[in-house]
Amino acid sequence: MFGQKNLTEIKPLKIMIVGCGKVGIALIEQLSKEGNEITIVDKNHDIIDKLTNTYDIIGYHGNGASYGVLTEAGIEDMDLFIAVTESDEMNLLCCTIAGRITECSTIARVRDPDISREIGYLRERLGLTMIINPEFEAARETAKILYLPAALEVNTFAHGQAEIIKFKVEAGSILDGVTIAEFSSRNNNAVLFCAVERGEEVSIPTGFFRFKAGDVVSFVAPRRGNRARLKLLNLATPQVHNCLIVGGSESAFYLAKELLQNKISVTLIEKEKKRCEELAEELDGANIINGDGTDEELLKEEGLESVDSFIPLTGIDEENVMLTLHARKVSDAKVVTKINRFAFKDVTDNLDLGSVIYPMVITSEAIIAYARAKRASLDSNIESLYHMYDGRVEAIEFLIRNESPVTGTPIMKLPLKKNVLITCISRNGNLIFPGGSDTLEVGDTVMIVTKNFGFQDIHDILDSSNGRE
Amino acid sequence: MNRKIILYTLGIVCMAESGLMLVPIICALFYQEQEGFAYVFTAGITFILGYALGHKKPENTMFYLKEGCIATALSWIVLSLIGAVPFVLTGEIPYYPDALFETVSGFTTTGASILGNVEALSHCSIMWRSFTHWIGGMGVLVFLLAIIPLSGGSTINLMRAESPGPSVGKFSPHLKQTARVLYLIYVALTVFEFLVLIISGMPFFDAINISFGTAGTGGFAIRNSGFAEYTFAQQWIVTIFMIIFGVNFNFYYLLLVRDIKDALRMEEVKAYFGIIIASTVIITLNILPVYHNVSLAVKDAAFQVGSIITTTGFATTDFNVWPTLSKTILVTLMFIGACAGSTGGGIKVSRIIITLKAFVRESNSYIHPKSVKNVNMDGKPLDENNVRSVNVYMSTFTLIFVISVLLVSIEGRDFTTNFTAVAATINNIGPGLGDVGPASNFESFSTFSKFVMIFDMLFGRLEFFPLIVLFHPTVWKEMHEDIRAAKKRRRIKVSTKVVQKKYEHDAKKM
Repeated sequence: MFGQKNLTEIKPLKIMIVGCGKVGIALIEQLSKEGNEITIVDKNHDIIDKLTNTYDIIGYHGNGASYGVLTEAGIEDMDLFIAVTESDEMNLLCCTIAGRITECSTIARVRDPDISREIGYLRERLGLTMIINPEFEAARETAKILYLPAALEVNTFAHGQAEIIKFKVEAGSILDGVTIAEFSSRNNNAVLFCAVERGEEVSIPTGFFRFKAGDVVSFVAPRRGNRARLKLLNLATPQVHNCLIVGGSESAFYLAKELLQNKISVTLIEKEKKRCEELAEELDGANIINGDGTDEELLKEEGLESVDSFIPLTGIDEENVMLTLHARKVSDAKVVTKINRFAFKDVTDNLDLGSVIYPMVITSEAIIAYARAKRASLDSNIESLYHMYDGRVEAIEFLIRNESPVTGTPIMKLPLKKNVLITCISRNGNLIFPGGSDTLEVGDTVMIVTKNFGFQDIHDILDSSNGRE
Repeated sequence: MNRKIILYTLGIVCMAESGLMLVPIICALFYQEQEGFAYVFTAGITFILGYALGHKKPENTMFYLKEGCIATALSWIVLSLIGAVPFVLTGEIPYYPDALFETVSGFTTTGASILGNVEALSHCSIMWRSFTHWIGGMGVLVFLLAIIPLSGGSTINLMRAESPGPSVGKFSPHLKQTARVLYLIYVALTVFEFLVLIISGMPFFDAINISFGTAGTGGFAIRNSGFAEYTFAQQWIVTIFMIIFGVNFNFYYLLLVRDIKDALRMEEVKAYFGIIIASTVIITLNILPVYHNVSLAVKDAAFQVGSIITTTGFATTDFNVWPTLSKTILVTLMFIGACAGSTGGGIKVSRIIITLKAFVRESNSYIHPKSVKNVNMDGKPLDENNVRSVNVYMSTFTLIFVISVLLVSIEGRDFTTNFTAVAATINNIGPGLGDVGPASNFESFSTFSKFVMIFDMLFGRLEFFPLIVLFHPTVWKEMHEDIRAAKKRRRIKVSTKVVQKKYEHDAKKM
């Protein structure tokens, strides 16, 4: 409530989005909900009609790389320009042209590995603010989960120093029926729980919170030693040694490459002969199989029953989901499912798929985090932002630039809003998990986890209604 | 269907109307009139009603086109039903259907009156009558969109249902801003007219009412003689302002914010001024033999052309006595109407242009059957859907018009009266010809005919489809099923609660 109020007080950003595909729509939905002024450009009349009917935005029909169309749509006033059409070249062209017309920040989505290899060069030469590659990001997320197979999801913070790990409390686990306070006193405060999902409800737990089997729990910990922590929680954590990937998409390629670098052996099944040859050329050391990955016999032959991890990455969500369900039935492998479409989430949620990755959400999160940071650009202190539990909980990193009511006071004396948790502080490159007597100082990067949305600055975490009275 | 959001919108509309009634209340205080209590009473009841419906915002604020149409149609009906109450309470229009006719005529900016002696009304009632024009001109829901946070982008469906014209354009990404810009232009122009009229020496009360009437392109007169008593200059001022309010408001936006070149490129506005000039010239020449005075003839011709094409309906003279050619031109102008996106009614100039262009294209297709051609507007090809919806509009208009004339003729009056009475109401003009000419009024019609015309006025203002959707059988069926489903859900909820309690009770025992 308060968070949203804060958002409307700040001047909205003027954002132009070219291309209304899956990512485009996810961006429109989130960014317009936050009160930004959004202009969309697409070549398809019907999509524009549909979107302008559903969201409070304005739509123009035309080619987003055309100077005429962009000026008609009012590019001169834009603060942020995002190109997320189907084509990489188109996105780069749009951003380059937009960047020439006006001084706004430009973000392009690029998926082709050949182009995205030169991201740094392109960004500098074409004057782009950000180039984002959803397939690559998805592959990286997947790989992170494979390194910690007990986790459902792993997010990195504080320049890779800290991680938020999400896992499920199974029946009979040592957490089942234990309160946080009890667990912490037994284990020397080693684990900081930051969010729990039970059924439909998500909460930021207090010490009195009692875990139950079926809860999905997130905790924050420094990157090193997470395996030991998962051991404390009695979750077996052998790193995977081999991986079976179905489908030879771009994200499969990125994933295989990343895994191979970490000495995990990879078997990849792809239907198309030509693609197999390309992959065999690019992925030295991977075992590329030319065959139908949805063939039960072939999967058996390639050792699905004994493999450590199994990643279905075909282009079709339904196939991926079916493969996951099949794999979970016949083997103990860690399975990560990539789902492209956000629709029917209620169905997939109930399927017990284990870890699920939505590349579209990863992309839009990165862009939204940038947009938010940009929105309060003068004194914005958001370093990074993650949505957890389908966007019901946010983890935000703030940089504290100057003295404020937050600094210098012991944390337990700060009048924090409800559902706000200060999880960790990064000070001079060291990670601190603060207790009640620690203070926040200028120069710290603080990570908070909250159910309130739209925080722009660290002092938003304070309950201002107390201060005013 | 999202029933809750419709009720919520109605609640907000009621609260807004009770707020708007402050205008006649203040007027009554100023003139020390007893009639003010009727307004205070109505406003109070309306506010309570509105608060009951609209104090809690429903969780689901999704407006699909269907909800937008139904909410708009119901809002206008409720607005009129409530707005008519004070006239009955004050005893000035004792018969409720008459009061309703007057109010609908006000809100739809028609200006057709059932009152023979306007000057007998109290000041506050005259003020309320004129003020309904002003509110109805730009639209109540657009007004609400400008001031209250009805979040969710789908609220454009409300604006689409209420705003006149074939398509609704947004000026800026946020609908709220668009609505604000519209009202800002509207208020600024109204104030400007008021000031000019005051400077010209018009009395304060007349200037306010006439400004409201012109801005909304309504046309309720406040003197029995219509406009004949005002000075030459004042009549010209009103002529110019009527024409100004009949222009598409996008034109002013482009003029103010963007390029003048873009504004001047608007085909509709060019055609609108073309029609006005041509009609004025022809009528002037036609009535000159009667007038013998060029400047007087030009003034009356221009005033009447401006008044009819913008569907305002003010009259400086009884054009019933003009030659047939002039009268026919005026009737034609009634159907053409003002620009889309203005406060005026009628078919709208842009629809006429599109229809003519589509007609040319179709006739060409007889010569080159396989040719592919777009209908262009302002130099850009028009979406085929737009052309289709204009054609559908035209046929619906014809259909409803014919049916209405048929229903009104049951009474047995002459054809000119029936035809122009329906034309004047469905196009939101006001006076017609024959028995409903500028010098007479609508009182003598039967209650049945009045209701036909009440619907015609609403049809005309909301451009048919929102009202038609409201009476669509599927909508009623859905509404009925919705209510049944809600009841069922409640029952299940209660029964699960009982089971749960029992379960907890048993668990405690164990």
